[in-house]
Amino acid sequence: MSVLRPLDKQPGLNTATILLVGTEDALLQQLADSMLKEDCASELKVHLARSLPLPSNVNRPRIDLIVFVVNLHSKYSLRNVEESLHHVDATFFLGKVGFLITGAGREGHCSIHWNTVVRLARTYRSPLLFCDLEVEGFRATVAQRLVRMLQICAGHVPGVSALNLLSLLRSSENPALEDV
Amino acid sequence: MEKQPREQAVTEPADSGAGGEEGGSPQVAGARTARPEDRLTLLLRLRAQTKQQLLEYKSVVDANEEKTPEQIMQDKQIEAKIEDLENEIEDVKIAFEIKKLALDRMQLSTALKKNLEKINPKTSVLMDNMKHVLKLNKLIMKSQQESWDLEEKLLDVRKKRLQLKQASEGKLLEIQTEKNKQKDDLASMENSDKIKTIQQNLQMEIQITTVIQHVFQNLILGSKANWAEDSAFKETVLQLEKNLTMM
Repeated sequence: MSVLRPLDKQPGLNTATILLVGTEDALLQQLADSMLKEDCASELKVHLARSLPLPSNVNRPRIDLIVFVVNLHSKYSLRNVEESLHHVDATFFLGKVGFLITGAGREGHCSIHWNTVVRLARTYRSPLLFCDLEVEGFRATVAQRLVRMLQICAGHVPGVSALNLLSLLRSSENPALEDV
Repeated sequence: MEKQPREQAVTEPADSGAGGEEGGSPQVAGARTARPEDRLTLLLRLRAQTKQQLLEYKSVVDANEEKTPEQIMQDKQIEAKIEDLENEIEDVKIAFEIKKLALDRMQLSTALKKNLEKINPKTSVLMDNMKHVLKLNKLIMKSQQESWDLEEKLLDVRKKRLQLKQASEGKLLEIQTEKNKQKDDLASMENSDKIKTIQQNLQMEIQITTVIQHVFQNLILGSKANWAEDSAFKETVLQLEKNLTMM
């Protein structure tokens, strides 16, 4: 199972699963805790991974949303994410993938320019979120946003699909056709 | 460098809709509480979720069915297709926005109507504003009409000028053609054969007459008669002296 496909498994009843991919384990753990503290009518499952491909021996539920976490302070995290992106099926990018950028607050420590990640998000046509995961308040806010996105991507919100959300998110951030 | 991808799974259930308990056991079955309303809510929610998920799967199946010739198509065609689809999406979005705007406008106008019914319409600032707006609108319409009239006049003047220019062009062209015709006529006349023959005849006659003149001169000189005495004789001789080519 080297490539993640979005719809190859049956969805669990009332279950929504999010996969957080990133090299910063502590930050991911904190984000996962914040998300689980959120009030949500469906059951949330948070999977954390350093990179893809995921080991195939584990029995895991259908993944509804993948969030790639990039830390602007380390080029390694960006490279890790770029390599992991190859193991995701193209149909995942129809709204079920998001990029979360952390570390933009401290400009002096940034070794990656934010334009790089903006271009990355534009290439993959996926929404881009900025958040300083080390600050409690921002983390809670972005956890709330991710929970809402996850609910939509899992199909728990009637009338809104992941693709719908993608085109709604896109109109304000990045225009539809951009030459990259 | 081969990284061992580690994976952790963290699960926790959430409260069900109307339930009074917190935390709960980590199972979906944890929502099967004592109260039937919770179960009913959960069932309804599950129904909505399943419907939505079914819709998503169906749409994916439909999308996959259309996919066939894409590997063979060239990049440009794929890009053109993508552009067309995105244009369609944009059109639908625009239509949706316009409808939303229309709905908002309707809501606003009903709210305004209700508000107007409540307050005294003669004294409110709203009415003053609206009257001012109406005045300005009338002014705008008047000035637009005036500017339109002026533009019309300008257009007419320009048209007339153009017509005059064209007429003068035509006239000048006529003059030129006439002149050219005249020149051609003249040239042709000069080159025509009749004139040549006439000229030749004239030359011939002149030469003959000159010869005759010379003959008479010589006759008179040869006769050694004194032609200076008789005035009529003198005139005749002098006339013979005339050079006919100069005439």
